Amino acid sequence: MSARCPSAPDDLLLRDLVCGLSTPRRAPTVSVGVLGSPDHTPQPPAHCLRVCLGADPQAVASRGCQFLATAARHEIDRTQLQDGRCPQGFAVTARPTRLGGAGAVFVSVEGEIADGTAQKQGHAADESNLLGHVDTAARLVQRVGEILEENSGFADEVLQNYEQLNLIFDLTQQIAQVTDARAIEKLLLQRVARLLGSAAVTLASADGGCRVFGGADGRGDGVAPDLPLTDLRPVESLIDEIRRTRQVRVHEAGGRQIIAGPLVRLDEKVDVVFADRAPGHGAFSSGDMMLVESMLAFGGQIITNTELHERLRRMSLEVTHAMVAAIDKKDHYTSGHSQRGGFLTRLTAQELGVPLAEQQTMEWAGLLHDIGKIGIPEEILCKPGKLTHEEFEVIKQHPRMGYEILKPIASLGVVLDGVLYHHEYPDGSGYPEGLKGDQIPLVARIVHVVDTFDALTSTRAYRQAFHVERALEIIRDEKGVRIDAEVADAFFRAFERYRREEPGDFAARFPAFIQSEKAHAKP
Amino acid sequence: MSRVLVVEDDPHILRLISMWLKRQGHDVREARNGLAARELLNAEPTDVLVTDVNMPGWDGLALIEAALPMGQVQRGIVVLTNRWDHGEIRDRLAQWHVHVLPKPFSPARLSELVESLTTAGAGDSPGSVVASAPRPEEGV
Ligand SMILES: [Fe+2]
Repeated sequence: MSARCPSAPDDLLLRDLVCGLSTPRRAPTVSVGVLGSPDHTPQPPAHCLRVCLGADPQAVASRGCQFLATAARHEIDRTQLQDGRCPQGFAVTARPTRLGGAGAVFVSVEGEIADGTAQKQGHAADESNLLGHVDTAARLVQRVGEILEENSGFADEVLQNYEQLNLIFDLTQQIAQVTDARAIEKLLLQRVARLLGSAAVTLASADGGCRVFGGADGRGDGVAPDLPLTDLRPVESLIDEIRRTRQVRVHEAGGRQIIAGPLVRLDEKVDVVFADRAPGHGAFSSGDMMLVESMLAFGGQIITNTELHERLRRMSLEVTHAMVAAIDKKDHYTSGHSQRGGFLTRLTAQELGVPLAEQQTMEWAGLLHDIGKIGIPEEILCKPGKLTHEEFEVIKQHPRMGYEILKPIASLGVVLDGVLYHHEYPDGSGYPEGLKGDQIPLVARIVHVVDTFDALTSTRAYRQAFHVERALEIIRDEKGVRIDAEVADAFFRAFERYRREEPGDFAARFPAFIQSEKAHAKP
Repeated sequence: MSRVLVVEDDPHILRLISMWLKRQGHDVREARNGLAARELLNAEPTDVLVTDVNMPGWDGLALIEAALPMGQVQRGIVVLTNRWDHGEIRDRLAQWHVHVLPKPFSPARLSELVESLTTAGAGDSPGSVVASAPRPEEGV
């Protein structure tokens, strides 16, 4: 009964409606349909919806088309039934609809009414009834078409939002795994390019120079000489304006549209980000501007934080090294002791499966453990020969002194444990508190093993250095007494592996070991 | 054009997905939960099954578990998951060779997936579920 032509999904809903409407009691043959405008649809039948009761769908469609030229422009609410105005012998009411372009709803009535004879024989009442019915039908179809179109517009918007949300979520997830400001910048700007449908975006750095980032497939990364935006001279005033106002702008240049916005970085430096669209890809919308604004604000915040974090980390490292240099300066014969202490502590912590962030703090504890020696008089610290009992009591104050020096630095937490307890022994005979076994924090146990090893292998004012193998042996003998057994074993494993697998690094870091090995080597 | 069965408890998202896929020219059927979807599959096979995971009653995992031995999903399964779904769900999905799209999903990616599943050779292309999924011993 009905010819179903290939149609947009929403047409199917319309068809159901039309089916219900297209059986007025008195009409011998009624066709109701929606036609796309011929201007917009080269092949109207493919876009038309026809419910034809007894009529030839092709014929109805083509006849309906004749009304479209008018219907698309004017609302026709009276049908053309009179002789001469409806020479094809059918009645149509048509209303403009935007469904599928500038189309029209049409309702055609054929048969009896179109038959001139029947008309003359006085079907006036029927005609006007039918026309009323047909007109209502057309209005309904038109309204439904409008609602469907609105729906479809909303759906487009929601779908587009989904697309953007998805990209932003992806970006957030990816950024969480990246700690380098440059890498975040790259991720961010590639996303911006993708969201804008641009082949690439250009970043004009506040420090001069520019960087180009590719869109979806990363094409265009690096410098793309064919992109006009690598030459920033024509947009210099735009750059200045954006630096000043910090607002997104859309700019026309040489028949090409450019969207540009600020990326605010550390120290209020403003980079300017540009994207363009190839001609024929539509103008940038206010939605695009909003997108650029929020993406750059969001990204700028993260990049700034990351840069700040990097700067602080670098600064605290520099401060730490300055403090370490101060200790080593005072206690010259232990030169390099702190550096090696930091390195070996980290190596051992790694072997013990300590989480990465904690390895870093432990390394600091290894570096800073002897900082308290700054407060010990030089004549005691550097005294050649044996110390008196009193002198040794003074030396024993260095862990607590170190602790007092570092205590005001709140963020050092675990480091303080390492500094204060690095001369505690498992058997409880250590200082300053005489803690036993597990009472001693892990970081302190590690620093103690490493410290002992480095002390043994260093030349002291009162004795020569022990050979590495001898030092390891001495530590092994002290396991469980003055040395934590578990930590010592981890240290042995880590040290042996390091020496075996990284001979170059080992030679650079521990030159004294190599020399002492040579000295001990049998001729 | 291929047959797609969309299963999603949120009526708006369901309508949106089905509208989107219909626009791409697919023949779309809808179900609001796993049980309803299984009934539809019982009656008629589908090329692609697109399903949400978290649904009241029969969820997406139960549906996939039931659908695999039926052999009524002929080309592949796309699962829409919450981004923060815990590891257990991800592990189970991994064992089934299904395609996973985290919500909010990318509509473009969804249609790409459906397209690639249905145009990929005679079902023996890599990445397609067809070769591996509908065997009864799997997923049970
Ligand atoms: Fe010490």
